Amino acid sequence: MTAPMIETERLRLRPPVAADLEAYLTFIMSDRATHVGREKSRFSGWKCFAAEAGHWMLHGYGPWAVTMKGSDATVGQVGVWHPEQFPERELGWLVWEEAEGQGIAHEAATAARDYDYRVHGTQTLVSYIAKDNARSIRLAERLGAQLDPDAAPLDPGGLVYRHPGPEAVQ
Amino acid sequence: MNAIPVDIPVLETERLIMRGHRIEDLAEEKAFQVSHRAKGIGGPHPPEQGFRAMAGYLGHWVLRGFGVWALEDKQTGSYLGRVGCFYPDLWPDREIAWAVTQAGEGRGIAYEAAIKSREYAYNVLGWTTAISVIAPDNDRSIALAKRLGCHRDPDWEHPTHGALTIWRHPAPEALQ
Repeated sequence: MTAPMIETERLRLRPPVAADLEAYLTFIMSDRATHVGREKSRFSGWKCFAAEAGHWMLHGYGPWAVTMKGSDATVGQVGVWHPEQFPERELGWLVWEEAEGQGIAHEAATAARDYDYRVHGTQTLVSYIAKDNARSIRLAERLGAQLDPDAAPLDPGGLVYRHPGPEAVQ
Repeated sequence: MNAIPVDIPVLETERLIMRGHRIEDLAEEKAFQVSHRAKGIGGPHPPEQGFRAMAGYLGHWVLRGFGVWALEDKQTGSYLGRVGCFYPDLWPDREIAWAVTQAGEGRGIAYEAAIKSREYAYNVLGWTTAISVIAPDNDRSIALAKRLGCHRDPDWEHPTHGALTIWRHPAPEALQ
């Protein structure tokens, strides 16, 4: 039931808190969330955010709130999660519109992946990506992940990118 | 390591330990969510709702600083459901909510936990009023609301479950 703090060159990853809700809702109810499961209402978005924060307490890992050093406002949410309907443990990323194009997701995802390999001893991670989500596909590739055609997708027709394992990135 | 900024208090009643949910509760929560017993909360749900619901109960504590507790049978350690203080976004008012598993049915477990939750809401959280939100055909829950001294308020239209009945609890002063 603990969520650690991680610092990277530009970022601070910390546990999600109530103050992060509005920025999350703005994202998850927008067109930008189409590829990751857009929520139609505040009502369902609130429940989603709660479930993501609560994930930490069930599994001991989960999505971090990503902030730029020097500000506590979130610019996205990045981390490892494994809700029950996910075939495998996933490295996932969401970045708010105003923070796009600065390599934030890459920096945060690299740190989250390293952490999960190092601290939890995870041996393999995937990212589930919609096939028309070109930006996320590019990021997965930039992280060294490769399309795994044999892995079970999250949704029919969805892509599964498998990340390089702990030996390859440490 | 920094703790998630919420400490879920552990409460005790005659027969129950009330504590935060744990992954070990999943099988029984899932069995509840997929069963007809979940009808009163918009179910029956698909199996993955078990995890999602439990994560949501815990996240509610993060968002609000209060939430529902997992009910653990003091004698057997079994998970008997969840009861507590519930107030998701857009909810009509702060709620004392309850749902028990098959194993928790018919023994006054929900009543025992609801009383404890209401005391916590009034004495610790400082609530001055509370409601319970109940599906109109959920006779057992309505009977429990009455046993808790609630009276009926105007119905509320839930965004996805349709019209629900609202039961207003006696105010803190009325219980002292």
